[in-house]
Amino acid sequence: MRKYLLRRAAFGLSTLIGVSLIIFVVLRILPGDPLVAMFGLEGFAKLAPDDRARIMEDLGLSDPLPVQYARWMHDITTGSLGRSFFRGEKVSEIILHRGPLSAEIGLLAVLISWLVGLPVGIISAFRPNSLSDNVARSLSILFLAIPGFWLGMLIVLATLFWFNYKTPLVVVHLWQDPWANLQLIVGPAIVLGLGQGAYIARMARSCLLEVIREDYVRTARAKGLKEALVVMRHALPNALLPVITLSGILMGFVLGGSVAVEQAFGVPGLGRALVVAVIERDTIVVQNLVMLYAVIFVFINVAVDLSYAWLDPRIRYR
Amino acid sequence: MSRHADLDRRTFLKRVGAAGAGAVIASRLPAPDPASAQDATVKADPSARRGGTLRFGVHTAPAHFDVHQSGTVANIGAQSPMYDYLIRRDPRDGQTIIPDLAQRWEISPDGKKYTFHLRRGVKFHDGADFTAEDVKATYERIASPPKGVVIPRTPLFSAVTDIVALDPYRIEFRLKEARPRPFMLGAFASGWNIIVRKKTLEDNAGNLRQVMAYPGTGPFRHVSRKDKEVWIMERNPDYWNKGLPYVDRLEVYHMPPFSPELGSALLTGKLDYGRLLDPVSWRKAKETPGMTAAEFPQSVIQAVFINNKKAPLGDPRVRRAMHLALDRHALVDVVRDVAPMLVGGFVYPFHELSTPAAELVSKRLGYQKDTKAAVQEAKRLMAEAGHAGGIKNLTFLVRDAATFKLWSVAIQAMLKETLNIETNLRTVQISQWFEEAAAGNFDLGISAIVSTLMDPSDYFSAWYGKDGPQNYSNWTNPAFHDLASQIEREVDDGRRKTMVRQAEEILEKDPPLLPVSYEKIYDAWHNKVRGQNPSTFFGIYDVVRWDTVWVTS
Repeated sequence: MRKYLLRRAAFGLSTLIGVSLIIFVVLRILPGDPLVAMFGLEGFAKLAPDDRARIMEDLGLSDPLPVQYARWMHDITTGSLGRSFFRGEKVSEIILHRGPLSAEIGLLAVLISWLVGLPVGIISAFRPNSLSDNVARSLSILFLAIPGFWLGMLIVLATLFWFNYKTPLVVVHLWQDPWANLQLIVGPAIVLGLGQGAYIARMARSCLLEVIREDYVRTARAKGLKEALVVMRHALPNALLPVITLSGILMGFVLGGSVAVEQAFGVPGLGRALVVAVIERDTIVVQNLVMLYAVIFVFINVAVDLSYAWLDPRIRYR
Repeated sequence: MSRHADLDRRTFLKRVGAAGAGAVIASRLPAPDPASAQDATVKADPSARRGGTLRFGVHTAPAHFDVHQSGTVANIGAQSPMYDYLIRRDPRDGQTIIPDLAQRWEISPDGKKYTFHLRRGVKFHDGADFTAEDVKATYERIASPPKGVVIPRTPLFSAVTDIVALDPYRIEFRLKEARPRPFMLGAFASGWNIIVRKKTLEDNAGNLRQVMAYPGTGPFRHVSRKDKEVWIMERNPDYWNKGLPYVDRLEVYHMPPFSPELGSALLTGKLDYGRLLDPVSWRKAKETPGMTAAEFPQSVIQAVFINNKKAPLGDPRVRRAMHLALDRHALVDVVRDVAPMLVGGFVYPFHELSTPAAELVSKRLGYQKDTKAAVQEAKRLMAEAGHAGGIKNLTFLVRDAATFKLWSVAIQAMLKETLNIETNLRTVQISQWFEEAAAGNFDLGISAIVSTLMDPSDYFSAWYGKDGPQNYSNWTNPAFHDLASQIEREVDDGRRKTMVRQAEEILEKDPPLLPVSYEKIYDAWHNKVRGQNPSTFFGIYDVVRWDTVWVTS
């Protein structure tokens, strides 16, 4: 087990180093510079070339790329994550302030996806080609096809025009005001959760369709067990493995999707901070936030791998 | 479409008339003598209600905190309430120049000395006394920035040779040669030129980019700030202008301009006042009982630049033909749901020195609703220039923004249909646009450029001057440059106006760029907000202090 863990950790670490290199290089070869955001159109136009060079030097962007990369790695290891180019704010503070909101959205989205996707998958699998199956399949295809940010915008407009409602404008943490906090996270979580729930429903349905034809399910039914017990105790645990794997992968979609969905809902989470940082070309903030997303994604997938043994005793790590 | 177009035109004409009248009245006003200047200081209104919170939504968060170095409303919209200027635009009309930290001022008969008499007893938010040394340090920084500091307003004070603190409450600006009074006073009253403490500048080596909430003398004091969310300020109880401000707390929310997010926050009552609203939200606010909406011009021109260094675009006939081929009313309409715009030429159409907008759109070729005559002339010019068959393969550099993308497609079609000029669109991100434009990697390029003042002397050199920083077309015209230089020095208003009209004529015949439209600003507020109506304001940079605004509940 320990050997397996170390192997997975090493694999995760090498993935993260690769990701960090890609982020770092891409951000530096992309055209455009942050001085437009910093000085505005008029100011930027009036910057003399040597002033531009001096300011880029002050920002640390004139150093050789290996030096810049080493500095970033040093910042990561010390936990400071550097500071925003512009206002000098610590990236770690941005993450601590906005991260909880995005984390809540992610967790609630996963919860919603399971709460919606699993029952729909079970109903579809146990009554194949019935009306409920057809409805469930149609809905799941619909939610797979609809982009989250578009659905988000529709919800925002509908609540605005029908109920004259708008979510709070600033970050409100769960411990500050749970009701206001819920208002902020519920919209994005539902949109992201329904999108993922559709994947889970389809995966759960196909896995269950395979499992319920197995001998042990037939045996359970032959023993006279109630259908609910057959599903919950015998069929579902064996069908869950691929669904859990899928959930791990979908977490990446939640992270990526949250950027657009937070923007659509106007939720001041990390995704929104990332969008603004990209617009401003605040390289330090962008690279650290993307790295954070990568770390979370790798961590979740390692955790998913480890969960297999717990769910299926036949699996042993080597 | 026609209904809205009529409405827009009518509103536009009314506005131009009002602005023109205001400008004429303003131009007749003499420089205030000590007594009248003192009287003009904005006073607390006894009928105004004290207390409450004003929630103002404006623009995204500033990229840094140095107002002097900034060129965006992201700074001025949030930070202005904490600072004062030497003199200011009257918040009641947005135009008349009135005393601020300078109680009164004198201009020497030869126009080379501006002496300001400062208020006594004014304190910075950190308790320090305000003196002429602070004004001197502020303006020396603006007129001659230290290394590593870039201030877009520096050229406004290019004629200033010395700034002398005569005593703690008198400061004198000495000019090498006289400049038009409206220009100089406009420069001093610019909202960008906030007065900061000398010690603040010294402590930070003259660079305030990363210094949040450095002390000002303004009506509001910093309380807290959450990046990209909100900046909260409280009433300054020691404000020199007794009785002001009215509200106890000011919350400035950073929201993307022209966004549904800003509009929805205002319409749902999460904000009391919204600036830079998108047209859809603004129209909704206008129809909503209990809300008021206003529009006013902004100092931004949207234009197509033409690379004069590339044949055949160096030929003035080709450029004028392209200029005449644009249906500007259609272009304004194309973006009507994205951003508010109005038709104009090479000089701000709402400024008293330019050809009146009504005359422009009714008489001048290229600005009329009926484009037949303009297109006919454009075709004739192309034939005369030897391009009757059109021009192929021009690169059209487009800035990645909703308005520019819409316009570029429309302009591409207009040029193709009328003159058989074929363009290939290349859309790039904003900073790349400026890099490519500066490097000359384009044939046509569409973007927006701004100025600090509406006065032509501020932007003639920057936009159209030889080697001007925003002259992306690389345009030169010796006759225009000579005239612009004279306009900069001409102190007689009448003669100056005549010269500006002559300059307009040159620009029409030999266009440095193709004016697409001028930006308007859409503001709206709930009627509980009193004491401000920006309908007569010129731009969003000079009146953003909220000291004379109150809330009824």
